[in-house]
Amino acid sequence: MSFEIEEIVESAGTNLPNLFDFSSFGVLWKEGPTLYLYQEESCPPSFTQEVAKNMISVLTILGEESVDVNQLNLQVEKRRLKPKQILMDPQAALKSHLTLPLAAEGEISGCISLNSDQLNAFDAQDLQFFSVIGYQMAATLKHFQRFSSIKNIAIYDTLTNLYNRRYFEERLGVEVKKAFHTGSFLSLVMLDIDHFKKVNDTLGHPVGDRVLYEIGSLLKNSVRKKDTVARYGGEEFILILPDANVEASSMIAERIRRSVEKTSFEVGQAQINLTVSIGISNLPSHRARSKEELVKMADLALYAAKGGGRNRVCVFDSNQR
Amino acid sequence: MASVTKEDKKEKWSADLVLDLYSNLLAEIWEIVSALLGESILELIFALAIKKLGDKYPFLALMKVSEEGISLDGLKENCRNMAPIEIHRGFQGLINHLFHLFSALAEGVISRELFPKVLPKVREAERIISQK
Repeated sequence: MSFEIEEIVESAGTNLPNLFDFSSFGVLWKEGPTLYLYQEESCPPSFTQEVAKNMISVLTILGEESVDVNQLNLQVEKRRLKPKQILMDPQAALKSHLTLPLAAEGEISGCISLNSDQLNAFDAQDLQFFSVIGYQMAATLKHFQRFSSIKNIAIYDTLTNLYNRRYFEERLGVEVKKAFHTGSFLSLVMLDIDHFKKVNDTLGHPVGDRVLYEIGSLLKNSVRKKDTVARYGGEEFILILPDANVEASSMIAERIRRSVEKTSFEVGQAQINLTVSIGISNLPSHRARSKEELVKMADLALYAAKGGGRNRVCVFDSNQR
Repeated sequence: MASVTKEDKKEKWSADLVLDLYSNLLAEIWEIVSALLGESILELIFALAIKKLGDKYPFLALMKVSEEGISLDGLKENCRNMAPIEIHRGFQGLINHLFHLFSALAEGVISRELFPKVLPKVREAERIISQK
């Protein structure tokens, strides 16, 4: 569930106890094949299961496509949505509910539900209030969903799902400023697939595209959470490694190089073995005065790795200037 | 040219009557439930119900549903020559399915508001049909 959606749900949840008398509030949100159930943390597991079953059944009844419950990936996220003193009875069973679709522009993206362990806990006035809340939530969530898809288009490379160059430039600007200000380390790792043109020429562009995707995935899985991996262009990738000195970034780069060398990339019927050349620059070690200079240094180091026979990692050397 | 018999006239009159009756009934359902659920959710629920019953009662697809409400104008134009019992069955199916959806969403809350006003009219439609 995205940060924005969690924020909206949490804000709605914390305000609902002022309006209704209920045991738990739940939001079921569909993102691809995953259904997220967002619920009050004091809900006992059996109650959560009953609520989930009920909400999925409503979603199935209302959804135009039939939902195969066994194929669904349901993730339950629990948060404190009610004041601490209103905890749920661990033996509570679902006795009544109000469940409304979160629908905007004719599209159902999930549903919200007020649940109670009391029979006939809700009346027409509750439904009226709750539908207004549901309508507002649906419109806000739709807005954020749209905003987030536009944001994704703007910052991600569609082929590899890595960040694109534009986002990289922005991120690097922020990280370089931070490194200049705090004196912390910042490494830039530039990577190029060796003889990639041959892959495209002999196996075709779809295979080439698949290789780029696979290498992108490998890179994402080889770095730390705080690192940024982007497609720089063509078959070139770039990594921003905050708080990494030359030794640490060399270790990461060497690990990547070895990992690519050892991997047999299965693309369709073909199995391809590839190598990569890598260049590294670092702040403050290489005394770059700007982000552009830091990129230039990584590029020169990469050029040296290529010139030195490829399939190697080179750290920027001031003699390369 | 075929002459319009007394029977034909009676049939047409009954079809119009059943259509008017259900038109009022659906307008009433819309008024009550839209106050509870809001127009956009209700529009969605009506559209789903009509779609669900579309194969069995294709004439229901001639109803126009929007956030403004329900219009049976197009349907009335095209269904005057239908057997009243067929119109009645189609609308009865629609109303039953709507109640099923309402109850899935809010258990008895919507039904409690609707039953006192809607049930007498459904009975009235049944009476008209059985008289024929």
